[in-house]
Amino acid sequence: MTRLVPLREAAAPALRTVFVAASCAVVLVPLAFMLGSSFMPAIDIMRMPYRWIPETWMPANYLRALAGNDGTWMFLRNILNSVIVSSSIAVSTVVLSSIVGYGLAKFRFRGRDAVFMAIMGTMMIPFETVMIPLYLIIVKAGMQNSYAGLIVPFLMNAFGVFIMRQYLITFPEEMLDAARIDGCSEPRIFREIVFRNSGPAAATLAVLSFRQQWDNLLWPLLVAQEEKMKTIPAYIVKFAAEKHADEGAMMAVAVIASLPVFVLFFTLSKYFLGGSAVYQAGKE
Amino acid sequence: MKRFVAVMLAALLVAPAFAQAPTVRALKGKKVELVVWTHEDQARTALEKRLIDEFVAANPSVSVNYVTYPSGKIKDIVVAGFAANAGPDVFNLEIFEEYQFIENGRVAPVDYASAGFKSMKDMQGKYLPGMLDPVTDGGKIYGMPLELTNWAMYLNKKIFRDAGLDPMKDYPKTWEEVMAVSEKIVTRDGQIIKRRGFDFRYPYYLTSVVPMVEQLGGVLVSKDGKSSVTGDAAWLKVLEYFREFGPNGKNLGSPTYTAARKVFDNDKNEIAMSLSGLYQEARMRDANRAFYDSGEWMVVPFPQWKDAVKKVPNNYYGHYYMVNAQKPKLSQQAAWALIGYMLSHGEEYLEKVAIVQPTKALFDSKTFKATPYSDVFAKDMAAGHIVYYGPASSKIESLLKEAFESVMLSGVEPAKALEKLRRDVAAALADI
Amino acid sequence: MIGRSTASGLEWNRAKWGWIFVAPGLAFFSIFSFYPMLNAIWTSFFNKRLLSLKAPKFIGLQNYQRVLGSEEFWNSARATATFTVGVFVPLFILSLLFAVLVTTMRRGRRLVQAALYSPAVLSSVVAALIWLLMLDPRGLANQFVNWVSMTPGIDHRWLSDGRMVQVSTMIVYVWKYLGYFTILFVTGIGKIPDSVNEAATMDGAGPVRRFFSITLPLLRPTTVLVSVMILIQCMKTFSTQYLFTQSGAPLAPVNVITLNIYNTAMRDLNIGRASVMSTVLFLFMLGLTWVQLKVSKKDEAGL
Repeated sequence: MTRLVPLREAAAPALRTVFVAASCAVVLVPLAFMLGSSFMPAIDIMRMPYRWIPETWMPANYLRALAGNDGTWMFLRNILNSVIVSSSIAVSTVVLSSIVGYGLAKFRFRGRDAVFMAIMGTMMIPFETVMIPLYLIIVKAGMQNSYAGLIVPFLMNAFGVFIMRQYLITFPEEMLDAARIDGCSEPRIFREIVFRNSGPAAATLAVLSFRQQWDNLLWPLLVAQEEKMKTIPAYIVKFAAEKHADEGAMMAVAVIASLPVFVLFFTLSKYFLGGSAVYQAGKE
Repeated sequence: MKRFVAVMLAALLVAPAFAQAPTVRALKGKKVELVVWTHEDQARTALEKRLIDEFVAANPSVSVNYVTYPSGKIKDIVVAGFAANAGPDVFNLEIFEEYQFIENGRVAPVDYASAGFKSMKDMQGKYLPGMLDPVTDGGKIYGMPLELTNWAMYLNKKIFRDAGLDPMKDYPKTWEEVMAVSEKIVTRDGQIIKRRGFDFRYPYYLTSVVPMVEQLGGVLVSKDGKSSVTGDAAWLKVLEYFREFGPNGKNLGSPTYTAARKVFDNDKNEIAMSLSGLYQEARMRDANRAFYDSGEWMVVPFPQWKDAVKKVPNNYYGHYYMVNAQKPKLSQQAAWALIGYMLSHGEEYLEKVAIVQPTKALFDSKTFKATPYSDVFAKDMAAGHIVYYGPASSKIESLLKEAFESVMLSGVEPAKALEKLRRDVAAALADI
Repeated sequence: MIGRSTASGLEWNRAKWGWIFVAPGLAFFSIFSFYPMLNAIWTSFFNKRLLSLKAPKFIGLQNYQRVLGSEEFWNSARATATFTVGVFVPLFILSLLFAVLVTTMRRGRRLVQAALYSPAVLSSVVAALIWLLMLDPRGLANQFVNWVSMTPGIDHRWLSDGRMVQVSTMIVYVWKYLGYFTILFVTGIGKIPDSVNEAATMDGAGPVRRFFSITLPLLRPTTVLVSVMILIQCMKTFSTQYLFTQSGAPLAPVNVITLNIYNTAMRDLNIGRASVMSTVLFLFMLGLTWVQLKVSKKDEAGL
């Protein structure tokens, strides 16, 4: 028995490594599938047994994905739209959520908890529920078919307010009081002290909002009524509907559509992977 | 006024030759912006954009914003647009979706003069009998047919020969033969099908499965609308057929394989038979010219049951161009003039997009007769009727899907599925 | 709380600034969330059709009667509940397990987290495209399972079988969000002071006991956050079910409430009845979250 214990303890980390590595591999399979098949002719994608490395290389899939079936290269414009819309929303979400989150975290006033709960309650609203009334608002404001129409309804969200509030609750009160004694105005305190020091939370929130918006399909389909106003998910749905059987080109579209988010995620990854932002959010 | 119409008709007659669009006099140079929403179809988009350019050249005060949407999404978008009172000037949907727009007074009747007709009678006279019925209500016509489509059976001769069949002799005429032939053609790896003989077009139960029921004397909704899902024997036989056909029976096909119509054109030994419309020929020509030119495919009529009580081919369905009733009169006139001009090029639509407008002129034209297998489609269409349309048709289609697929895939007893279908259809009709 | 009459000027000033900071949020959510939601609740009492130009008729609770008395609604409630439970259990356990494993690793932590998180980066449309191809009878899913279980040629009917399609939607969801919640747990565990664990180790507690008697209780704020978030996400799930059913999967097994709402509004044009379902779902989620927070607060007080 006494000899077994050290052996077990030595084996445990190795087992753990194997298990974790195998799990990661399984999780990554669909991504590898996407990448591999984006270089294949459609017929090879459904082949049994599947070959991970393409036998016939079809880089032309990418050309077709970008040029589109009508050769108008509209995909590039649609990518640009997605970047504009998603990054505007990321920025506005961070700014507005930290303003509101700061108000909720650091000021005592009557009805504060009610306001907080009401905002949190909006997380429970399924988007399909409010889609039509929301669309009516946008139409009344004359914002269909414009960046404004795509952006305005998502300027901020309850989750953002939640993250910023949780993060700012632990913000040292002394720093704020010191600034007040120095005669700083409240907006300036927020700008120069609070906002400047919420980098990790802001970065996390920015990436999460960017990604969420990058994903949005239903709303842009309703609001963007011209090819040149459409965003990536709408292009994908359209491409998939048109190019019925060409799964290879479809996967190429998928790869191109995913690239910008991957780049963004990996450049900012230090903020969430072991970063303090989401960790703070977990603190009640 | 008469003179104007005469001038316009003359212009229309010479239009194909000179590509000269009519000038809408009523506009008198007033600026009008027309928004057109239509479903995606690459070849048609190219053609219609050209026709629109011609129209705008003749009417410089008109500008046209032509937008296409994926066909699976356009209905939701048009509905949301109209719900917000911000619908387009011109749109088209499938007839059973458009019906709601007529019923709710959201679309304007055809302005005959602007669209290039002398009168309602004149318009009716130009189309094959009955083709305007679905958009006729209270003595007015609310749409102009962009296409009327019925499906017949596309068949890959190479695969037939490969399976030891003679396509000219062995092509299936009955549903029993469809199953027998499919059994000979199918190849599998274990349970997984590698090559299918025939497979259905799954979500389209109203178009292609209801006729199978009708061939046996079953009825979906009676003419007076009072009874629904009658003729149990017919329904049960078709439900049973689906069970036999599916993975729990002979395992010949199922809704989760790549749609039959999509893989047919590839000619990669994946499927031998698929249902589709004449438009498939244009798609095939664009996607796989070599196969199109090879003569290795053919089209045969929609199969009938061996003991069918009446001949019912595949139901045809239609897309009609319609005009938003909430737009000012002037926009409506311009819209009908634009639609009239575009649709006056029926032969070009046939040649380039392979979609068929049900006009007498087109059916008599050389272009139509020269289109491969157009006679198969024309004969089936003449014997058929339009797909069921009514306020609950979308719902009913999804109920049919549920009933048939529960039998085919989840092992529900046909009698039970039928009972549920009858109850649900009755409820859907009562809800309206 | 000090009454307002006795409140000092300073406190009054602070309260004022509180309102000023919160104001943009209130304005925004009023227009884009509260108003549409109240509008939906209001509409649920009317016989409102999406395309009708006639003024909708007030019909009291008739919509509620019809919806709550219909088989279809209860099937949707079942579908949502099944999906929520079917995702919640594996997602919660797996992300916690991976978080514990990751935090005990000396090397490669970030790599593992990045790998697990990467599916969350894909958009749902792309994810659905990939999975539809993989779940095709000839696709990778069958090949993989048949290779592991050595059962060549079996079609597991990922999308066509009523049970399997539910499993498939759950797999896609767990796959997509595993990394996200793992990271939440990792950061939560990182917050537990090392000294506590060290003390327990000195007392001779094994890793399993340490986990259950130290890590888990101290992790409570994170577990509450994660479970609320998973529940809300699951009950609002839409796009996977929508895209799968659009591609031929049977509707009834995965007809979750949100999908039913969408179809009732956009296909049947019955906005009144869709609003009933929206209201019910909203109130239910609100109630559930409230109970969850209350229970977790009570537990904490009892500790």
